[in-house]
Amino acid sequence: MPQDMPPTGGYGAVQYKRNLPARGFRPSVYLGIMGAIMSYGFYKFGQSTRERNELAREKMWARIYLTPALQAEEDRDQVRRYLADKAREKDLLGTETKVYHSDRFVRPTFAVTPEKELK
Amino acid sequence: MASRQPRFNQQNLIDTTPLPEEIPKVKELGATSAPLLSASYFIGARCKAYNDDYMMCKTDANGRGELECLKEGRKVTRCAASVIDDINKHCLAEFRGHWQCLENYNHQLWNCRSAERKLNKCVFDNLKLEKTIPDTPKGETPVHLKKHMIFARNV
Repeated sequence: MPQDMPPTGGYGAVQYKRNLPARGFRPSVYLGIMGAIMSYGFYKFGQSTRERNELAREKMWARIYLTPALQAEEDRDQVRRYLADKAREKDLLGTETKVYHSDRFVRPTFAVTPEKELK
Repeated sequence: MASRQPRFNQQNLIDTTPLPEEIPKVKELGATSAPLLSASYFIGARCKAYNDDYMMCKTDANGRGELECLKEGRKVTRCAASVIDDINKHCLAEFRGHWQCLENYNHQLWNCRSAERKLNKCVFDNLKLEKTIPDTPKGETPVHLKKHMIFARNV
């Protein structure tokens, strides 16, 4: 009995690879696209941060320019109350009293309420 | 046990005693926050010297600025009032347009650029006061003159 031999021309190729189609682009293309999107996002983020800083600067300077006017009004009101308080004390006690051992203007922490509404 | 009886009442109990006669009177600004914000850069442009003088007086007064800087304070108030008066005289419609926009947009300057452009132009033409933001980076368009804005509606 002759030996069993391969068929002439050899065996056909054994299919050991999966036969699935590779969809889409090369991975490096996707990496590139992601990089582009990220760069654009970071660029916009940087631009908006700068614009936000400038908007904050604008707001800050608007307040800086207004501060003296508002402070002057408040100070005048405080001085008015302070002088009125002093005049009342003088009326009541007959002497000028000094509460603090200091020349500085101290904003009072409490107010004496009049018994009836002042007009 | 407190020796003083608490006093309750429903009135606004504020001290209404006016300033003594020897201190000159000055009419307060009387403007609310939106008109003040709208006019702030013009107040800054005209009154910078008075403002700086007043703030320096307060710094140098060593804690007695409230009593000693009344004169500088009056100058500051008069100058700011003059700016608001002038804007009211020459640019009333634009001014109202801008500060009412600020009221509607939560006092965000960047949401009212179109009204602001009109106001700035009118104020510059009539009063020669220009809005400039100090310390803006060099070579960049100031944020209030930008054509395209990222955060606001581009109107």
